[in-house]
Amino acid sequence: MNPAARSADGSRRVLLMLLLPGLVALGVTFVLPLLWLFRASFASSAIGAFSGGDWTLSSYETVLTDPFYWLVAWNTLVLGFNVAVFTVILSYPIALFLARTESRWRGVLTALAVAPLLTSSVVRTYGWMVILGDQGVINSTLQALSLTDGVVRLTNNSFGATVALIEIFMPYAILAMLSGFGRLNTQLEEAAAMLGANRLKVFTRIILPLSLPGVLTAALLVFVLAISAFVTPRLMGGGRVFVLGTEVYNEATVTLNWPLAAALSVLLLVLFSSVIVIYQRALRALEA
Amino acid sequence: MVDHHVEIEQLVKTYPGAQKPSVDRVSFSLPRGEMLALLGPSGCGKTTILRMIAGLIAPTSGAIRIDGRDVSAIPVHKRNMGMVFQSYALFPHMTVARNVSFGLEMRKVGKTEIEERVKKALDLVKLTGLGERKVSQLSGGQQQRAAIARSLVIEPELLLLDEPLSNLDAKLRDEMRDEIREIQARTGVTAIFVTHDQDEALSMADRLAVMSNGRLEQIGTPREIFDRPQTDFVATFIGAGNFFSGKVREPGVAEVEGLGELRFSGEAPTGSSVKLMVRPHRLVLDGTGAAGVNRFSGTVEHIVYRGQTLTLTVRCGTQRLQADLPTHAGVLPEKGGEITLAVAPEDVTFIEKAAA
Ligand SMILES: Nc1ncnc2c1ncn2[C@@H]1O[C@H](COP(=O)(O)OP(=O)(O)O)[C@@H](O)[C@H]1O
Ligand SMILES: [Mg+2]
Repeated sequence: MNPAARSADGSRRVLLMLLLPGLVALGVTFVLPLLWLFRASFASSAIGAFSGGDWTLSSYETVLTDPFYWLVAWNTLVLGFNVAVFTVILSYPIALFLARTESRWRGVLTALAVAPLLTSSVVRTYGWMVILGDQGVINSTLQALSLTDGVVRLTNNSFGATVALIEIFMPYAILAMLSGFGRLNTQLEEAAAMLGANRLKVFTRIILPLSLPGVLTAALLVFVLAISAFVTPRLMGGGRVFVLGTEVYNEATVTLNWPLAAALSVLLLVLFSSVIVIYQRALRALEA
Repeated sequence: MVDHHVEIEQLVKTYPGAQKPSVDRVSFSLPRGEMLALLGPSGCGKTTILRMIAGLIAPTSGAIRIDGRDVSAIPVHKRNMGMVFQSYALFPHMTVARNVSFGLEMRKVGKTEIEERVKKALDLVKLTGLGERKVSQLSGGQQQRAAIARSLVIEPELLLLDEPLSNLDAKLRDEMRDEIREIQARTGVTAIFVTHDQDEALSMADRLAVMSNGRLEQIGTPREIFDRPQTDFVATFIGAGNFFSGKVREPGVAEVEGLGELRFSGEAPTGSSVKLMVRPHRLVLDGTGAAGVNRFSGTVEHIVYRGQTLTLTVRCGTQRLQADLPTHAGVLPEKGGEITLAVAPEDVTFIEKAAA
């Protein structure tokens, strides 16, 4: 063996050693539970899931034949879609401003935009309950001004869940967009203007296409976060919003039907992967 | 009758928060079809002038006129000027052809005409057949050509180029230098290009505007700038030179301390102090060996061989002269040898606006 090959071999061994702690941690905390989740989804009872008992398709049968779970899956997709669309629409101008500004406050402004991440999403959900609740800020204001007779229902439904999720995910969307705006550059806008493009044309022909990868990344991230969310839909939905996240929680902790919870989780995983495949196709199409 | 195509008058730009103006009362004008170089060290305000002409930034004061009309109220996208940016600024999400056709699309030119004109523009810059390439698939020189095609296809009133050659390697730079000159001559477009490279400016431009610290120092043909610099800055910035301070004895003759009498060209009042310059390559070996007016004898202190020329440092009296002699000039001087150098009076330049 020549020295170069030997040293390449050596550096590969060093790399492997460096990777090992991370790999072990991932294996124990991620891969093993995931495998166990798959196994559990084929068990007939919670006990069976642990003790390597029987194999059955009955949980999947329930999930795939019960119209309720189809409705839950549909609700989840609709919620994820709405949250993703509105989060992206609301975050885009902010991210665009932060990416393009030459103000020396840019760093501070960026920090401010993502500062909500310092508070737990549970706390922020409670914040939204205070604002949107039946006796909340909006309702009491409306009533004090005699604009409405009764209560306008803003919580305990999917509207409330959607609003809270949008606000909670906006910092993530802004960060994802900023990281995806690498090709934006004011000189390109100036070049377009010199060639006769007005502001609208500069936006539609230059800024929008160049920022699309960032927008797509943000949309994917928010969609994935939204369809797996469970605390906010549960609190804001008041038990009346049924999505995959809340149902998994229900089956696992209330009904104690772990195999069913596992099967629902697998369904969620399938949704995830299909969305990621679609995203990658779209991104490749954009780049071509 | 308007005799100037482009006129810049008393242009000033003070950036917000800046202590002093980046461009300070600059005026110049170009006839149609001229190529003007804005030359000066980095940070002297060249790009700022270009961007004001383009309409990308607003002047603090002063006027920019095209065919006698003030353009300050016309927004960038209606000025019809072509700009070649230092980093080319090609649109990365479009093919080369789409980049070139962009300006025509904005002007709502018909499809078949666009195709024709794009093809012609690509032919002009020797990118024939590369229209369907992605920008990232072009080399640096090809990107440069694409950027030129893109700004010329709209038949601009004025072509602006900001350091067009600075991102190219040395060999390509020479090639593009000739090419840009040729394209400009062929299209007849009036052009202003910015550079900090004197060779580039001297070889490409019809006239040079030399700038320093936001001020215009001198404007003239390459010859005028090189042979008749009017200010200290221009004299030292362009090329090498031997500088002397002297007192005018009689018209055209100055007494330089430690050197003797120096006959010069230009008019300076008798009795005044003058600054004179002699380019190293204007000094020649003198066979007669005797010192006299414009002839200096001295000892060779230092020799640098440069292939085609020999750079000598010669000590004459209390002065040190630098001379570039052609290496084919017969018997060459040696270090420590005594030689006599001579210069013609017309090659001794009187720097008019030198700081006293
Ligand atoms: N956008 C700006 N804001 C503030 N100062 C600027 C700006 N652009 C350039 N300057 C200043 O103006 C001066 C001239 O800059 P510039 O025109 O770019 O010089 P050049 O192109 O000759 O290198 C420099 O001192 C620079 O720091
Ligand atoms: Mg510059």
